Amino acid sequence: MLETISVFILPILIVIFPLYGLIKKVKVYEVFVEGAKEGFEIGVRIIPYLVAILFAIGMFRASGAMDWFIRLLDPVLGLVGFPAEVLPMAVFRPLTGSGSLGVLADMIKTYGEDSIFVQMAATMFGSTETTFYVLAVYFGAVNIRKTRYAVQAGLIADLAGIIAAVAFCSWLFG
Amino acid sequence: MLNYIWAGLIILSLVFATVQDSYDLIHNTYKNGIAKPVQVDFPDNREPEQKQRVSYRIPDLDTTFRATWRPSKQQSELIIPVSGGHPDLWRKVAKNQKSDNKDTLRATIVEADYRSGATKIMLPRVRFVKMRAITEAAFNMAEFAVDLVIGLIGLMALWLGLMKIAEESGLIRVLNRAVQPGLKYLFPGIPADHPAYGAISLNLAANVLGLGNAATPLGIKAMEELQKLNDKREQATDAMCMFLAINTSSVQLLPPVTLLAIMGTEVNQIMVTIIMATTVSTIVGIAAAKWLAYRHRNQ
Repeated sequence: MLETISVFILPILIVIFPLYGLIKKVKVYEVFVEGAKEGFEIGVRIIPYLVAILFAIGMFRASGAMDWFIRLLDPVLGLVGFPAEVLPMAVFRPLTGSGSLGVLADMIKTYGEDSIFVQMAATMFGSTETTFYVLAVYFGAVNIRKTRYAVQAGLIADLAGIIAAVAFCSWLFG
Repeated sequence: MLNYIWAGLIILSLVFATVQDSYDLIHNTYKNGIAKPVQVDFPDNREPEQKQRVSYRIPDLDTTFRATWRPSKQQSELIIPVSGGHPDLWRKVAKNQKSDNKDTLRATIVEADYRSGATKIMLPRVRFVKMRAITEAAFNMAEFAVDLVIGLIGLMALWLGLMKIAEESGLIRVLNRAVQPGLKYLFPGIPADHPAYGAISLNLAANVLGLGNAATPLGIKAMEELQKLNDKREQATDAMCMFLAINTSSVQLLPPVTLLAIMGTEVNQIMVTIIMATTVSTIVGIAAAKWLAYRHRNQ
């Protein structure tokens, strides 16, 4: 049911806007082009922000620091019942979308699709965003450099999502 | 905060790369400078002075591998296509070597007895793996950022064009009236009937339905509307931080397309946990943004 909705929602939206515009006697083509012009400008505006975030995260990933970080956190998290196997996903997810997808693909190969670790990691993947990417794109688009507490708020929400993913998965599948 | 995280990522990557490379040097992880014995078989008893295809065996392994024997006055080489059957160390050396051709090892021949075929070879020297890796990553990601934006520009143009029609035709106003009661509490800074409500609600709807491609341009549109209400041009407002917190923790009723692609129908199983986990994270995200807004009220 929901999947059917998701197939139809985009084409319907794309048709409804101009249709409603026509009914309201808007010069739809001209207005569309007017709005679309902004797309390029915004893209160019985002580039510096995205370069800044992505290259720092890329370096951090390539340095192998993540492995050390995970090794360091591992014993601490073991105490509260957080499985070490899903820790890489928890660390990668807010930083990189493609990286965390790679982690998940790796885990599927290692543990199998129906293992609890994969279910946990996939739930994490589905329920949190690449916070730093969203931050760079959204704030970059309006040229905001001072982000105040946006990072903290996003990371707290991510952390809640990660803990909830582990808790609900072990409750339902464990 | 972002300043510290950003600088921390860069500095830490240099520190860890240095630590790892020194560790590799001290423990000689890649066995640099240690010759390895192999048994080379020359087909048809051809002269070893000629360049030719040979086969060879590595001690303790049953497999016979193929390679190219390339003699020369200065430095004879055995050119080895690396396969999954090679020892771990060989594959690690191949992967981390300086040469761009990661599938081939150019081993130098240290000693060769042509009659018996007993040969000692030296694999390429591998040093400063992580140091090279972080440099490469920095350059690659800088390039990747532009590719990402290029891919986004077309989509953004499409959605921003549609949004402009929605604005001019009054569709956004209709939407505003519908969502305002719910969103007013979350975004107290937005005046009644402001188009920001419409843009925010469209972005949130796209997020909930897992439409990542549409969600980003709609989110950017919402940020632009919020920026119109901002009197400090370079500083985020409370409404922006709240929007971001909800956005990154958003409830998901449908799986993201990427997850569907790698997990297939197994995704159906975890949709329940995703919906539950995102409900929790959205609530926590909203609470955190409210609390942090209160703490930063004087900024």
